Amino acid sequence: MSDNKPTKPLEVQPSFQSDPAQPPTTILAGEEAKVNIRDFSFYYGKFKALGNITLTVPANKITAIIGPSGCGKSTLLRSLNRMNDLVPNTHIEGEIFLGGQNIYAPGVDIVDVRRRTGMVFQRPNPFPKSIYDNVAYGPRLYGVHRRTELDAIVERSLEQAALWDEVNDKLNQSGMALSGGQQQRLCIARALAVQPEIILMDEPASALDPVATLKIEELMQDLKSTYTIVIVTHNMQQAARVSDYTAFLMIDSPQTRIGTLVEYGATTQIFTNPKHKQTEDYVTGRFG
Amino acid sequence: MTGYTSAHLGQAVKPYHSTDGYTLRKVTNIVMLTITGLLTALALVPLFWIIGYVIYKGGQYISLDFFAQMPRPLGVVGGGVLHAIEGTLILTFLGGIFAIPPGILAAIYAAYRPNTPLGTAVRFGTDVLSGVPSIVIGLFGYALIVKNQGHYSALAGGIALAIIMFPTIVRTTEEMIKLVPQSLREGSLALGAPEWKTTVSVVLPAAANGIVTGILLGLARAFGETAPLLFTALGNENYEIGKIIHSGIASHQGLLVIFNRIFEQPVDSLPLTLWKYAQQPYPERINQAWATALVLMVIILVINIVARVWVYYRTSHLQGK
Repeated sequence: MSDNKPTKPLEVQPSFQSDPAQPPTTILAGEEAKVNIRDFSFYYGKFKALGNITLTVPANKITAIIGPSGCGKSTLLRSLNRMNDLVPNTHIEGEIFLGGQNIYAPGVDIVDVRRRTGMVFQRPNPFPKSIYDNVAYGPRLYGVHRRTELDAIVERSLEQAALWDEVNDKLNQSGMALSGGQQQRLCIARALAVQPEIILMDEPASALDPVATLKIEELMQDLKSTYTIVIVTHNMQQAARVSDYTAFLMIDSPQTRIGTLVEYGATTQIFTNPKHKQTEDYVTGRFG
Repeated sequence: MTGYTSAHLGQAVKPYHSTDGYTLRKVTNIVMLTITGLLTALALVPLFWIIGYVIYKGGQYISLDFFAQMPRPLGVVGGGVLHAIEGTLILTFLGGIFAIPPGILAAIYAAYRPNTPLGTAVRFGTDVLSGVPSIVIGLFGYALIVKNQGHYSALAGGIALAIIMFPTIVRTTEEMIKLVPQSLREGSLALGAPEWKTTVSVVLPAAANGIVTGILLGLARAFGETAPLLFTALGNENYEIGKIIHSGIASHQGLLVIFNRIFEQPVDSLPLTLWKYAQQPYPERINQAWATALVLMVIILVINIVARVWVYYRTSHLQGK
């Protein structure tokens, strides 16, 4: 933090207008880009929820998206695997490149995009099936049916999700009989089972107790060597603890409410030496 | 809570005690509880009266023979309603086959695409259909099938019953599908499953208990229908599936012929038999009518209670974790 004086909460929500002369850092030096978001805008009907977002997500790192409520963080995250296609009456402008391929190009196979991007939701959502069938659901979708192969995949995924030791003797029990933290790790294992390239996490620990939260954060550190992780969180301390890079989003004004990228860079820089005043106000807790 | 000062008004409001008017409130409470209790009991009286009376009259004549034997000629003591039991089973079986698959598929469509012309039509159409008098549906079956085939049959009766079962199945299935949380669907879609696979592998299994209830309730309704069978299944005192199969095998008839004889004959059902026997002047038949009423009532009660208890049991574990 730049100063340690206790900060007074702001009485009026700040607004942000992006300065064309000073675009937010989008290309990170020396990092291989996994996801390339280029001039991306998202509309719910006529309402522009995201405005001209440009940033690159580096491979094998954890990137956090933070910002006050309603700024479009989840919308941005869900655009990365085209989950927003489920909402009627939406359209986009711009491009999102996943590993070099524009996922919004006409004729793109959504199933393939979604296989390459795993998603973990805010509230754990295991299927009402056994633990084994939960994890095996994805591989079975893609044609893996042999018992030996499935057994290996299930074991590997549950180990990667740090759940194997706790459930290996009760794989046939319902996935919904686990505790909240275990259910969330089961959902992570389920996403890992299809070997995605990038894992999207939408506030994965917000519904969990602190101990479970810690386990999830440790898990993320273990996973980032193999996967690229993008996490949306409204918990700034978590973003500071866990992520390597942070993107700060904000609505540009209370009237238009377009989600805009204010600043993007290494987490240490964002939290100790932010370039914009709005960023500093947010990370010091003066609004949000 | 004595004395309350409102900061905005800047003046004190009269002190309020929670014990004011206590007696009046207590008395009103007792009176209203008594009235609603009495009226509830009054509403339940017909149900229990019917159940009790049918048990009393029908219980006198019920016996194991009643279930296992074919009817005896008029005036002869004894005999049973095996033909009606088998007929009922065949009719509900056919009704189920014709009503369940289209019903579930229509419900899936209405649940997924509620605001399209077809989705609205499904919901509106089933509501209207459920209000059509069952005898009209029977006439429809007559005009459509009996006249074209030239004879009464279990098939015609089954189709008429299917039309009656259809709205119940569609409505319950649609409600149950809509109850499946969106998060479950999203979890499956995020893994890359196409929409149909998500429906088949995640949504329908999650809604399965409710769907089964809808089917059971539809079946219970079809069990008790008489009017639609008057012009379609007609009735047949000689119907006995075991005999059909045995004689078919004995005279080396093909499978198709045997099926024909099972499904293409007129059949009786329990309510139909009840109706016919109740109109006849022979005391034997009257007694059998009461016994049939008892059997019918017990079957329908059991299906209803089992369906509702089972669903309550299974869904409480799904939601209240």
